Amino acid sequence: MAKKKSSMEEGEVEANLLPVMNVMFLLIPALLLAMEVARFAAVVVTPPKFAAQADEKKEEKKEEKPLNLKVFIMEDGYRVSAQGQQQGAEAGKSADSSKPTIPLAKAGAPLDDYERYDYAALEAEAARYKSLFAHETLVTISAENSIPMQVLIHTMDAMRGKDCRLLKAMQGEEIPPECYFWQAVVEAGAG
Amino acid sequence: MTPEEFLAAKRAAKKAARRGKKEEQGALNLTSLMDVVSIIVVYLLKNYGADPVVIMPTAGQKVPMSIADSPIQDGIPVYIAQRSITFNSKKIVQIDENGDIEQGAVQNHLIGPLYDAMAEEADKAKQMAAAQGNEEWSGRVILVGDQSLKFSTLVDVMYTAGRAEFREYAFCVIQNY
Repeated sequence: MAKKKSSMEEGEVEANLLPVMNVMFLLIPALLLAMEVARFAAVVVTPPKFAAQADEKKEEKKEEKPLNLKVFIMEDGYRVSAQGQQQGAEAGKSADSSKPTIPLAKAGAPLDDYERYDYAALEAEAARYKSLFAHETLVTISAENSIPMQVLIHTMDAMRGKDCRLLKAMQGEEIPPECYFWQAVVEAGAG
Repeated sequence: MTPEEFLAAKRAAKKAARRGKKEEQGALNLTSLMDVVSIIVVYLLKNYGADPVVIMPTAGQKVPMSIADSPIQDGIPVYIAQRSITFNSKKIVQIDENGDIEQGAVQNHLIGPLYDAMAEEADKAKQMAAAQGNEEWSGRVILVGDQSLKFSTLVDVMYTAGRAEFREYAFCVIQNY
């Protein structure tokens, strides 16, 4: 009995690391897959002052009447105007503030429903203007005070075009033709 | 091997184990594991190192989603969450439950405490640029907003940044295409 006890005391217990390492090895890809990776990007915004200067330069070069495209985000839709004339305004009037040019896609939806606006119709409008004024890239976007930032971003996306990718253009390549109005000027009270 | 033979072999193995035969120990080869770990470390370092600015949204902040793919360029971030504006890791201004900036902090679109902090930072950045031999300071501000941020508050922050001599603006978004 005493002999057995002493042999137990002397014996060194070595931990078998193999199953632990197996588990660790499986945990690494499992955690990497479970990790939520958010890729951040930037939407460059042109301040009003510099945009106005850019417009003047274009006028000098091309001697064309500038498009001066403006989108005003209202609680009940978009008001789009170009060359100082609002779309759908009553005859003889340059603007009709009571009505949006592009009404809501989901009328009656709350303000925090960011899909309530008709982004597809706005993008179609941007494509139409781009076909008429191919060299224009600038759009002035403004909104009512209560409009959430997500709606502003979606509006900028629609004006840029859903297939517009500017990554290569930033590395020196030409702006792709899928990009409509990718230079956004955000200003207060442009409506 | 028939089932009987298999059971006999198993019994013999058990018997041998009982006699105190030492089990063969498998040696642990760590080389392949170290290879995998090294690759993961390099991958993660590359991912973190690619962005010139580390964007750390504040707790509860929902950064807007966009299809934009332009990378974030070097700049100074301003975090505009639902209840506060944070600059240089300091809460500068509180925002009330209606999404408006606290009374007294904003006058004619200028957010006083934010202007002071940004102007100080602009001075420092200009001095740094001059010390490094850069003639012109880019003055880029990255606005890390919230999905529900009101347009009026966003305009106030942009106006304040403009007054503090920041000339370039970019909205930080999360890519979702």
